[in-house]
Amino acid sequence: MANVDRCLNVWDLRSAAQRRLPKGVFEFVDRATEDHLAVTNNRSAFEHLKLRHRALVDVSGRSVATTLFGKPASLPMAIAPTGAAGLCWHEGELELAKAAAKAKIPLTLSTASMTPMEKIAAVGGRLWFQLYVWKQRELSHQLIQRANRNGFEALIVTVDSPVSPNREYNTHNGFGLPFTPTLRFTLDMVRHPAWSSSVLMRYFTSGRFPRHENYPEEYQSSILSGVGSRDALRADSLAWEDVAKFRDMWPGVLMLKGVNRPDDAIKALSYGIDGIVVSNHGGRNMDSAAASLEVLPEIAEAVGDKMTLILDSGVRRGSDIVKALALGAKAVLTGRATLYGTAVGGEAGALRAINILKSEADKTMAYTGCRTVDEVSTDIFWGYRGGNRLMGA
Amino acid sequence: MPALDRCLNVYDLRAAAKRRLPRAVFEFVDRGSEDGIAVANNRSAFERIKLRHRALVDVSGRAMNTTLFGKPVSMPMAIAPTGAAGLCWHEGELELAKAAAKAKIPFTLATGAMTSMEKIAEQAGPSVGGGLWFQLYVWNQREFSYQLIDRANRAGFEALIVTVDTIVPPNREYNTHNGFLLPFTPNVTFTLDIMRHPVWFTNVQMKYFTTIGMPRNENYPDAYRRMSRNDPTTTEMTRQDSLNWDDIRIFREKWPGILMIKGINRPDDALKAIEYGVDGIVVSNHGGRNMDSVVASLDVLPEIAEAVGDRLTVILDSGVRRGSDIVKALALGAKAVLTGRATLYGTAVGGEAGAFKAINLIRNEMDKTMAYTGCRSVDEITTDIFFGGRQGNRMFDRVMDEAAL
Repeated sequence: MANVDRCLNVWDLRSAAQRRLPKGVFEFVDRATEDHLAVTNNRSAFEHLKLRHRALVDVSGRSVATTLFGKPASLPMAIAPTGAAGLCWHEGELELAKAAAKAKIPLTLSTASMTPMEKIAAVGGRLWFQLYVWKQRELSHQLIQRANRNGFEALIVTVDSPVSPNREYNTHNGFGLPFTPTLRFTLDMVRHPAWSSSVLMRYFTSGRFPRHENYPEEYQSSILSGVGSRDALRADSLAWEDVAKFRDMWPGVLMLKGVNRPDDAIKALSYGIDGIVVSNHGGRNMDSAAASLEVLPEIAEAVGDKMTLILDSGVRRGSDIVKALALGAKAVLTGRATLYGTAVGGEAGALRAINILKSEADKTMAYTGCRTVDEVSTDIFWGYRGGNRLMGA
Repeated sequence: MPALDRCLNVYDLRAAAKRRLPRAVFEFVDRGSEDGIAVANNRSAFERIKLRHRALVDVSGRAMNTTLFGKPVSMPMAIAPTGAAGLCWHEGELELAKAAAKAKIPFTLATGAMTSMEKIAEQAGPSVGGGLWFQLYVWNQREFSYQLIDRANRAGFEALIVTVDTIVPPNREYNTHNGFLLPFTPNVTFTLDIMRHPVWFTNVQMKYFTTIGMPRNENYPDAYRRMSRNDPTTTEMTRQDSLNWDDIRIFREKWPGILMIKGINRPDDALKAIEYGVDGIVVSNHGGRNMDSVVASLDVLPEIAEAVGDRLTVILDSGVRRGSDIVKALALGAKAVLTGRATLYGTAVGGEAGAFKAINLIRNEMDKTMAYTGCRSVDEITTDIFFGGRQGNRMFDRVMDEAAL
């Protein structure tokens, strides 16, 4: 796994993934929507925050470990739900789940994943399940029950995707779902023989083309077919009443993903939600979206002491985790970072990505004089001293 | 029309238009003036504004239709007046007007158009459900302009838009570099340019040659039609720098329909427009094509919208390329936007079908932005969806604060 060893940060993993994956798959993972304003802005929000060294604190006993919903995590991070791990590596979700279990951080399985949740549950570790709500609510309710039976401890309902985003590059790349063979994508695969033989051919020889394994049977079919897309997935009627129903049905931890406003966060509290993921979907949905790091402080002020706040969208360095924690998050999710790792080396690559971020977070804590995650506060910021007033700075 | 099918946004249409059009025509459409600063700034004004997802609002019944001057439109958009549609496609204005009628949005015909207003009215007017507006450049000899207004009224145009931001011809140096002079003056640069674009030459230029000769400003009085830019009397005839509020008073008396002024950039001017009985203003910097130091029209919009309230209809143009831009303009007080370049790119790529595609791409993007921000109707779009600057129309303060940093 020499390739993985040469990768020293997430950007190296990204470059290696770019070389390895067909362009259609890589861009599906890496790019966002429309003019890529949101994805760029997510990064600059992190990069604009400047920290200060804290001198002469003995940090030799420091630890990045924390607890999330009352259970330990080795790092304030969990794996975000993503649909494409199974295209990055043969049974990529399984590899990613094994890496998360080994690293002792939670893994979120996506509704759109290509590995059945039963198979993931067998890996063990802390498992969360992400839900896209279908038009036929009954089918979503069945999926929740299935996740509960399989021991998933948390349910994350995605609320920022009422309509399908404009990801024009997928069409230009001939990479649409349902997957239809195009000459362009075939040539793309021919140019990436390592991927074609180790990922695609293994699906072919196992006789099972990647499919949405967690969809109900009515929708389940390989990604070659159009069933299970478009109309069935139409979710623009999703409303708070649905959340009330999910709360009744789901005995475990319930989170909403894609909350971006303090008023929505306060409303989530009143519906008995345990946690929210402040997220703009990695900049992949609304291109005008504010950076989730920038909206985090207001939301933390509104509800931070009453529910668990998790941040995603733009985390590529361990210092990003420290910054998110300082602004009120209890943890972050990583999507692309660990997918790049999965694409380069399966489980080993994903574990590499996690460990890189962990090591970077550890060093940032040492530089800023934080011995535990509880000591991480806005006190470490430069030019940011008046509470959670990032926007006022 | 495979080229058109591959276009998934306005920038794709722009790229396809660039391949298809002679450089001189493309740059006439695409570029601004002087250093291109205003054009770039118009875009960044939109891109700086950040929105927030609104969670868990049932938006399945959302709609973006609205009314403009009491008439229903399918979305808060109209086609801006542009002079070059007829160079992008054979009888391009007609194609564009038909697309607008089909899409149920108003079409504005420019004084400088190459299709006669009667032809537009006949083929893309009320008979096919089209709403037609006429844009007026005021000539030094006012009598000719009054004749033009009468003609537009007779032809059934429902609104008159008087452009007030073009009192002197702008410095569009690239046109001269490209050998692009109107009316056409034979020169080597432009001839070579045309020869490199045989598809355009065949489908656009040759069609004019074989029917009417050179494309002309079909709405100009006869005395102006055959004028040459190099002729000093032409310069004198097209002078507009004496245009003033007295003219607006006269236009108001002469024009029975909806009267708009295009190119308002100041609250005091907007308030004055109310005094003169104007029905609407277009907050515009002419797509960044006139004064290169001009402020983005989106940035001046909030002040103007605050000043005039609902006493007149505020429309915005300059820089709209995405559906999210319309949502932002509406949040800041506009009732609608105009698109110039976006629909011209479409026209250049596929005539009516291309223009229609451009409109629908923008419509689809606007619909998604409304869904993400939890707006079920255009009336629900307010600055509440903005991140930062949510206290009323205070985007201006925020922009100024950022500039000060």
